Amino acid sequence: MKLFKKMLVATAVGSALVATAMLPTASAQNKPIEIQMWMGLTGLGGETLTKYGEEFNKMQNEYKVTVSFKGQYPEQRAAAVAAFRAGNPPHIMQMFDAGSGDMMGAKNAIVPVSEVFKKAGMQFNAGDFIAPARGYYGTKDGSLLSMPFNVSTAVLFYNKDAFKKAGLDANKPPATWPELIAAAKKVRATNAANCGFTTTWLAWIQLEQFGARHNIGLGTQANGRAGLNAELNFASNPAFVKQVETLVDMQKDKSFDYKGRSNDASASFQNGECAMITQSSGAYGGYIRDAKFDWGVAPLPYWPDAKGGPYATTVGGASLWVFNAPNRSAAEFKGVAKFLDYLKSTAVMSDWAKTTGFLPATNAAFKYLTDEGFYAQNPRAGVAIGTLANGKQGEHTGGYRFGRWTEIRDFYHEEVEKALQGKQTAKEALENAQKRGNAALRQFEKTAVAAN
Amino acid sequence: MDRRVTFNNKLLPYLLLAPQLAVTLVFFFWPAGQAIQMSVMEQDAFGLSKTFVGLANFKELFADAEYLKTFWRTLIFSGAVAFCALVPALLFAVMAERIVRGATFYRTVLVLPYAIAPAVAGVLWLFMFNPSVGIVAYWLKKMGIDWNPKLDGNDAMILVVMAAAWKQISYNFLFFLAGLQSIPKALLEAASIDGAGEWRKFRTIVFPLLSPTTFFLLVVNIVYAFFDTFGIIDAVTSGGPAKATEVLVYKVYYDGVVALNLGTSSAQSVILMAIVILLTAIQFRYVEKKVHY
Repeated sequence: MKLFKKMLVATAVGSALVATAMLPTASAQNKPIEIQMWMGLTGLGGETLTKYGEEFNKMQNEYKVTVSFKGQYPEQRAAAVAAFRAGNPPHIMQMFDAGSGDMMGAKNAIVPVSEVFKKAGMQFNAGDFIAPARGYYGTKDGSLLSMPFNVSTAVLFYNKDAFKKAGLDANKPPATWPELIAAAKKVRATNAANCGFTTTWLAWIQLEQFGARHNIGLGTQANGRAGLNAELNFASNPAFVKQVETLVDMQKDKSFDYKGRSNDASASFQNGECAMITQSSGAYGGYIRDAKFDWGVAPLPYWPDAKGGPYATTVGGASLWVFNAPNRSAAEFKGVAKFLDYLKSTAVMSDWAKTTGFLPATNAAFKYLTDEGFYAQNPRAGVAIGTLANGKQGEHTGGYRFGRWTEIRDFYHEEVEKALQGKQTAKEALENAQKRGNAALRQFEKTAVAAN
Repeated sequence: MDRRVTFNNKLLPYLLLAPQLAVTLVFFFWPAGQAIQMSVMEQDAFGLSKTFVGLANFKELFADAEYLKTFWRTLIFSGAVAFCALVPALLFAVMAERIVRGATFYRTVLVLPYAIAPAVAGVLWLFMFNPSVGIVAYWLKKMGIDWNPKLDGNDAMILVVMAAAWKQISYNFLFFLAGLQSIPKALLEAASIDGAGEWRKFRTIVFPLLSPTTFFLLVVNIVYAFFDTFGIIDAVTSGGPAKATEVLVYKVYYDGVVALNLGTSSAQSVILMAIVILLTAIQFRYVEKKVHY
């Protein structure tokens, strides 16, 4: 009898154990599918994007999105490439504009966003996105390879206090390069600031955006869009040479002062040292918070003698790419599509633009912000989207597409730096940058052709 | 009676060595092997295509005038860093050795910078010398010196050399101090009795007796400047302006991580590997015997 009791207890305990052991297995079937997204944004942008991931998770329980920062864009890209080689890349990666050509060359590594939505059986209309972004990240047949997210363009910021001090009209910013040069010289002559004008993102603004503004291409094959065999030819265009010459000349009397690559020069505008800066529109939020003087925004200057007048500027910033991997399930891609769909909703896009100072990537968000009166109340925020979306569109305003562009930008930086140091002429600088760039493009072509 | 403990098991020594061997194999030989393998391949960033190209990556490097310039630049940079890190360290050590009161305090303070991470050291210097916001740059401007490491290559080089050397002074200081303390006092006293001044004592007794320490530090500092200054250069100049501060190890990083050009980057790291092997061989085989102990 005792034995029987013992057995009974043992069975009860045993079955209880089995039951508890089965519980987690049962719930595992409802466990949300993990979606990894890597971003290269810090500060306000990074915080806001992370918040969108959390909000998406609260809205539904099928998928769990984790947005993580893996270093600045180049480091993040290297990490993602390593993860891809190991067979486990993030589902979504944010990639800066210059890296787009490399991604487009690696056709087997990515799934075009249009296709991601199609596979998931969800509606996706490339026409929802603003035309310049569609041109930059899309294909000829109108589908999108990556989803435009944080969109920016180049504008001119100017210090109104310094303008007043120099005796310039603070409400009439320079519209053309000759006007900018005259204003910068006046700032120096009156000593209203230590430097008249500086620029961030040298290659992006003085080469790429400058090209779009004057509707000049950087290379053959429809600016790299029509084929991997594209050759750079910017050095043979007198407008690009003249622009570098202008900077070299202005450097001599500090009406232009070179303050380094990437965003380094930004501090020189923010502390009042330089009266004007050509800069990414994304800097808007930072200047609102940190600049202790009255400032204004104007469209990127242009040369009035250029054919056809000023054109639109082109997009910068970053877009979202979807990685392919052998172990990716259809359910995961569906989750990716759902999250991207959430990110492109008018509510998120307009909140993103208002919070960070980036431009709205969809037409609906742009319209929403306009109707709401956001641009009427903040005219400074409206300048960038105005030059980008409402400017005159031409053959070359839709941007370029070249592989290894991150590196080619640095070739341009190095060679122009040498010209600014007085070690070579503007023409030589561009010729050297072009020569080195073409060598890199040929190597890219070889490996990209082999990869596809 | 033979008290030596012997193991007859042939396997045991290998078993005991196994953890260390495994660490060496996994963390040293495997990556090194991968680097060698990748250096003879040409591939796209994602590894979708790999083609064997033999020594083409190396040939391309040595045909590139810029790469050869990077070699010279690295030599100049390393020499300058070693010099700027050794001379003040020796001076400080000699001074600290003479202090009687509060010696521990001075020594602690002098050793402190060694605890700072290279990237942090780089950022500290960057801020002080930043042409827009730096306090030292502001003083230099007041003195009428046109300081702009963003555009002037020499200014940039001076900046990274100072930042790299500053951190290493503490390390060198420790070794010099230890070296000084091992010099027999009797010799110095005898020299004093013979009427030798401080400088003469230093030149004829202290410095020659310190030579093993100095030589060791010279090699360590050059190796440091060659391979460990990446963090500082990345934080301060990113190799610019116009390549003025791009040293070999920075170029490996740039070509590999930023440009995702893995073939040439691997070829460069194989070349660096050969340099380390060479430096170590020189240290052990040749010069160590010649330096007077």
